[in-house]
Amino acid sequence: VTSRENNKTAAVRLLGRRRVLRAASALGAGAIIGAPAFAQGSKKFSGVTLNVSAFSAPYQKLIKDWLPEFEAESGAKVNFDTPGFPVYNQRADLELSTKGSGFDVVNVTFIYSSRWINSGWLTPLDQFVQDKSQTPADFDLNDFLPGARAPETGRDGKLYGIPWTAEAMISAASRFDLVKNAGLPYPDTTDDLVNVLKAVHRKERVSGFITDNHYGWTFPPYLHAFGGDVFRKAPDDLYPTLDTPEAIAAADYFARLLREFGPDGAVSYPSDQAVQSLKAGRSNFSSLGQIHLAQLADPASSKVLQTAAWGQVPKGPAGRFPGTAVHGYGIPAGSRKKEAAWHFIAWATSKQTMRRAVAAGYGSPSRRSDIDADIFRKRQTVNGYDLARLAADAIDLSGKQGYMKYRTVSVYPQVDQQLNKAIELIVSGQQTAANAMKQAQAATVAELKRAGVAL
Amino acid sequence: MAGATISAAAGWEAQRRRAFLFGLSPALLVLAAITLLPALALGVASLTPLSLLDPVATFHFRDPLGNYRALLQDPRFTGSVWVQLRLSATSVTLQLATGLGIALLLNAPSRMLSAVRSAFLIPMVLPPIVVALIWKILYTPDVSPVHAALEAWGWPLRSLIANPDTALWAITIAETWQWFPFTMLMVLAALHMIPDEPIEAARLDGANSWQLFRHILLPYIKPVLVVCGLFRLIDSFKAFPLIYVLTNGGPGSVTEVTNFYGFIQAFNFSYWGYASAIAVLMLAGVFLLSWLIGRLNGSETSEHH
Repeated sequence: VTSRENNKTAAVRLLGRRRVLRAASALGAGAIIGAPAFAQGSKKFSGVTLNVSAFSAPYQKLIKDWLPEFEAESGAKVNFDTPGFPVYNQRADLELSTKGSGFDVVNVTFIYSSRWINSGWLTPLDQFVQDKSQTPADFDLNDFLPGARAPETGRDGKLYGIPWTAEAMISAASRFDLVKNAGLPYPDTTDDLVNVLKAVHRKERVSGFITDNHYGWTFPPYLHAFGGDVFRKAPDDLYPTLDTPEAIAAADYFARLLREFGPDGAVSYPSDQAVQSLKAGRSNFSSLGQIHLAQLADPASSKVLQTAAWGQVPKGPAGRFPGTAVHGYGIPAGSRKKEAAWHFIAWATSKQTMRRAVAAGYGSPSRRSDIDADIFRKRQTVNGYDLARLAADAIDLSGKQGYMKYRTVSVYPQVDQQLNKAIELIVSGQQTAANAMKQAQAATVAELKRAGVAL
Repeated sequence: MAGATISAAAGWEAQRRRAFLFGLSPALLVLAAITLLPALALGVASLTPLSLLDPVATFHFRDPLGNYRALLQDPRFTGSVWVQLRLSATSVTLQLATGLGIALLLNAPSRMLSAVRSAFLIPMVLPPIVVALIWKILYTPDVSPVHAALEAWGWPLRSLIANPDTALWAITIAETWQWFPFTMLMVLAALHMIPDEPIEAARLDGANSWQLFRHILLPYIKPVLVVCGLFRLIDSFKAFPLIYVLTNGGPGSVTEVTNFYGFIQAFNFSYWGYASAIAVLMLAGVFLLSWLIGRLNGSETSEHH
C-alpha cells in the first residue's frame, strides 16, 4: 500500500495537480459513459457501414465528436451526414418515400413524423427496445418524457423514433427591467401581455414584441389559447377550423402584437433575426423555442443577460398551450442493417451519451433524468428563472393535452403556409383578421381536398 | 466529266460532314445527357400528378394535362406570373437604364474611371446569397445604416420589405444593383468599338450631346442593349435568393414570383408533378419571349439594311 501511495504521490508530482484532476475527471466521465453494453469493445458490427442522416443541430455535433468511440466499440463505420434542416427533410422525405436503403438511421422530423410513421416508411423499435441482447438494461425508455415519446408513436401504438431533443415554446422578456420600472409583473395571460406591452413599447427605443415569422409555428399557441384549433380534431378529423370566431380573434390578437408592438418590418424577421433583436435589447418580449430564448443568457453574445426574464407562453381564455417540437432517431423501413442501426440509436440516446451531452452544454435533452439533473438545472437557472422546468412543464402539458397533434399530420405543411400568409396579410394591413382567416380556411380546404384528405 | 467531278465533290462533302459529326458525337451525347435528359424528365413528371407522399400511386399518365388545367385555375399561380412579369419588366428596364447611363459616364480613357469601372463590377460577381444578405441588412430598419441616416436627417423611412406597396420595388432595387454592371460592361465594350469618325463628323456639324447619343451612339449599341435585355430578362425569371432571404414571397403573396411558387409546391408540399408543370410553363414562356425579342430585333436590323 505504502509503495502504491508513494507511486501515486510521485505521479501527482510528475503530472501536476491540474493534469491529475483533469485525468481523474476524465476517468469519472469514462465511468459514466462506459456503460456495460457500450464499453466492452465487442466489435459486433465489424465490417458494417452505417449511413446516418439528421439535420444539423448541436446534439449532432456532439455525437459526431464521439463517433470514434462508438466505432471502436461496435466495429461499425458511421457516415454521419448533417445537412441543413430544409435540405435534410427534402432528402429524407424522398429517400423514405421510395423505401430505399440509402440511410440506416434518420432523424424523424417532428412535422413529418405522422407522414413517415403512418406511411410505413419507418421500422417499429419496440422489438429492439424489449430485446435485452440488443438494448442495455439501463436504457429505460420511460425515462424519455411522455410528451416526447408521443409524436414518435404511430397510430398502431408502436414506437418509431427515440427522441434526442424535446423543445418547448416559452416566453421571455429581454428588458424585464422596463416592465419592473412600470410597476408590472411578468405577464401571465394574453391580456396581461398587451397591458405590459402598452406600458413598455418604445421605452428606451426597445420594441415591445417580436417572434419568428414562421407563423405556422409561432401562432398556434395563441390560436389554442383563444379556444381555436387548426383542425377539428387532428389526426382523425382534419377539417380545418381557421375561420371560427375563436381563430379570428386569436389571429387579430397575435397580429396586433406584431403590428402595434413589433419593430418596424416585424413580418420579415425569421427566428435568427428575432433572437438577435432580443439579445441586442432592441426588442423586449417574445415567445419562441427555449433553445432560442435560452440564448438571452449567453454571456458571450447577449447584452441583456442581467435584465432578461422568462416565463410560460401566455394563458388565454381557453388556457395555456405552449408549442413543442420533438425530433428522434429512427430506422428506415428499407434499411438492411437494422440491428447495427439500433445499436447506434441506443448508444446515441443512451443515458450516458445524453448526460455527457448535457455536461457539454446541450440545452434540450429528452430524458427526465437529465432535465432533473443538478448539472442541467444549474446551467438552466438564470436570474432565478428555471428554464429547464419551464420547458419540461410545457412538454408535459402538450403530452397530456395532445394539442400538438395538428402539427404532425402529413398535410400540415400546406396549412402552415396558409397561416404564414394570413398573419402576414393582417400585420401588413392588406386584410382584416376575419377576411384573412376566411381566405386561409378556403385555401386550406382546397389544398386538403387536393391532397386527397376526406373532409 | 463535270457531273462526275460534282458528284465526287458532294461525296467528299458528305464524308467531311460525317467525320465532323463523328468527332462531335461524344460532346453532343454528353450535352444531351446533362441538358436534354433532365428537361425530358421534367416534361414527363409534369404530365403526372406525382407527389412524394405516395410516389408509386401518383406516377401515372391517366390525365396528362391535369396539372396544366389546374394551373390555369390556380389564382396563386396566375398571381405569381403577374408578379413575375412586373418584377422582370421593372428590374430589367432599370438595369438597362442604369447600366447604359453609367457606361456613358465612364466611357473615357482615365485611370480613375477604369478603377471605378472595376468597382462597379463587384455586385455582379458576389454570390447571390451574399447580395441578399447585404440588402437584408440595408432593408432592416433596426440595423440598417440607410434607415439610421435617414432618421437622423429627419426623414424616417418605414421598412420597405414589410410594406406590401414597396416590397416588390425593394426586390427590384436589389436586383438592379446586382445586375446593372452586366449591361454597363457590355455597353462599354460596344462603345469602345464605335469608330471616331462619325462622332467627330457629328460634332463638327454642331450636334449636341443628346443628338450625338440619339443618332450616333444609340444605333451602334442598340443590338448590344437588346442582347443585354434578353439575357437579363431570361435571368430575371430565376430570381430566387433575393426573394427567399428578403421577403419569403410576402408579405402575403406580393413578392411571390412563379419559380418561388414552384419551389413551394415541390419542396414544401411535395407536389413534384405540379411543380414540374410550373417549370415547364416557365421554360415555354422564356422560349417564347426570346423568340419574340429575337424576331423584333431581326426585323429592325433588316429594316436598317
